[in-house]
Amino acid sequence: MGIIELNGLTVELGGRTVLDGLTGELQGRAIGLLGPNGAGKSTLINTLLGFHLPTRGTARVFGLDAHRDRAQIRGGVGYMPENDSFIGNMSGVRFVRYMAELAGLPAEMALERAHEALFYVGLGEVRYRKVNTYSLGMKQLIKLAQALAHGPKLLILDEPTNGLDPMARQRMIQLIGEIRKEGSVRLLISSHLLRDIDEVCDEVLILKGGRIAALCNIEAERRSNRSFIELETVGATDRFSTSVSTLGCECASFPGGRIKLVLPEHVEARDLYVIAAEQGVQIRRMNQRRDSLEDIFLRAMGNMPATPTETERPAHVRL
Amino acid sequence: MSVYRLQYRAYTGKVTPLWMRILVIARYGFNEAWSSKITVGLFILSLLPTLVFLVIIYLSNNPMARALVGAGSSGLAVNARFFLVVLQIQSWLALVLASWVAPRLMGFDLADNALPILLSHPISRFGYVLGKFVALFGSLSLVTWVPILILVLDQSYSSPVPWAASNFRVIAGMIAGSLIWIAFLSVLCLAVSSWVKWRVVATGAIFAAVFVPSGVGAIVSEVLRTRWGFLLNVPYMMSVLWQRLLGAPEVFGKWDLPTPAILVMLALACLAGVAMLNKRVRAREVVRG
Repeated sequence: MGIIELNGLTVELGGRTVLDGLTGELQGRAIGLLGPNGAGKSTLINTLLGFHLPTRGTARVFGLDAHRDRAQIRGGVGYMPENDSFIGNMSGVRFVRYMAELAGLPAEMALERAHEALFYVGLGEVRYRKVNTYSLGMKQLIKLAQALAHGPKLLILDEPTNGLDPMARQRMIQLIGEIRKEGSVRLLISSHLLRDIDEVCDEVLILKGGRIAALCNIEAERRSNRSFIELETVGATDRFSTSVSTLGCECASFPGGRIKLVLPEHVEARDLYVIAAEQGVQIRRMNQRRDSLEDIFLRAMGNMPATPTETERPAHVRL
Repeated sequence: MSVYRLQYRAYTGKVTPLWMRILVIARYGFNEAWSSKITVGLFILSLLPTLVFLVIIYLSNNPMARALVGAGSSGLAVNARFFLVVLQIQSWLALVLASWVAPRLMGFDLADNALPILLSHPISRFGYVLGKFVALFGSLSLVTWVPILILVLDQSYSSPVPWAASNFRVIAGMIAGSLIWIAFLSVLCLAVSSWVKWRVVATGAIFAAVFVPSGVGAIVSEVLRTRWGFLLNVPYMMSVLWQRLLGAPEVFGKWDLPTPAILVMLALACLAGVAMLNKRVRAREVVRG
């Protein structure tokens, strides 16, 4: 069972469709939520927290219906919102204790965990100061502390590095990485910054215009594309493609002698040169590369098509 | 997590039941309200009339003391009229206290946009408002029916004849009148405070919400020559209601209002307050269009 299951999830707000038929299952330990502004990232998070009622379809968190069982879900979720959200008149420790008590911890335990959480995120020395005297970085950290204090099963972080300087950002990423490594908490991280997602997430959900543009396991995607090769050839390209395909390569030929292929593990680049030499084909250029998250994102956004477009239709495709 | 090892540690202990979260909101709200010296000052101010009333009860039941201070017996009767004055004074002092406390209960949460974090915990919007309501209702109780009950106990103890049994209607009327007033005041003050971020402005808005409609009602009544305009006059309506609840002699002639109309008007005002709270107390605002 996945952590989050979306089944035709549609959310309309103010007469506008914000999420449009999302279907998928998220099961990574750290899930990245990517997409441009207005893609529906925050709406998806709010729906998972039960703030919005799905117009159609369902969203389930740990197998529980996001709207019907929202109290139960919220008990096991720690949420760090994107914007400033705190009670500035309270001291740091009192604020975190208050949130932990609301999550269901008895008062004494909430106080103990509040101290621990504040030390853990690095606010131990300022925990008796009022929250409205904190710097922007500290305010981000106290939001993380209150999300952690009650020991959630799922931590939802909405733009956790928003407005942080490079040092603070690094500290935040390091903390998130440590939490992930500990293993008892699953993470859902929404961010505009691909680098942040790239550093800590193992699965990514990319939204565009309220629809799923991509849902993939980042590691698996990288592994599968590790032997992705682009060739520029001169000569009998079609015959060369056919021969390469017999080795077990996924192969697509394009006009102008361009060939894209994915090598299986037992085939090496050297084998391509051997076949080319046998068939009198010249390999003018060979580009071997590994997909980055940026490639995955751009492809999902339609700037870098995963499959050839109309203008770049392959002359010959063998899978 | 551990303070010494600085490692994350999952929580595996017991969890409180869901209804307890309402009490958490109420407890923190109560602490927040009473952490202000002004709140304490207003509370002390509200108890000063009670001290005066205690002295009056003592004098009314002690002829020797009355003779010593040279007071006659005519103006010191402890009856429905006496307790009507007590109720009116304490109730209007409760308005002053509510206008200070309610903006503190709502204002800090609204000023720093705390609702998304608060409501992301296992507490509903209704639970959140109910918690704040309990905090305000409890605070107002300390200056209304609680001191009134103390006066009743004092009078029952001091009176040479069994006073409580023969004045049961007065006691029940005072308690009911206090509860109706502070419940109405709590809803109204929370609703107004939820719409005004600045606490000082919210305090002014609460007074305006009580007294401005009174002026409008008076104009309506004068222009249309009808008594129904007084249904907008909260002080007038409450005075009529309290008189009837206590069974005190009524002093209103041609502007008499039926009790059901007063109760319906108060209920409608409370519903409007609930609608205002429902609109405002949200984790996320939806922009239309």
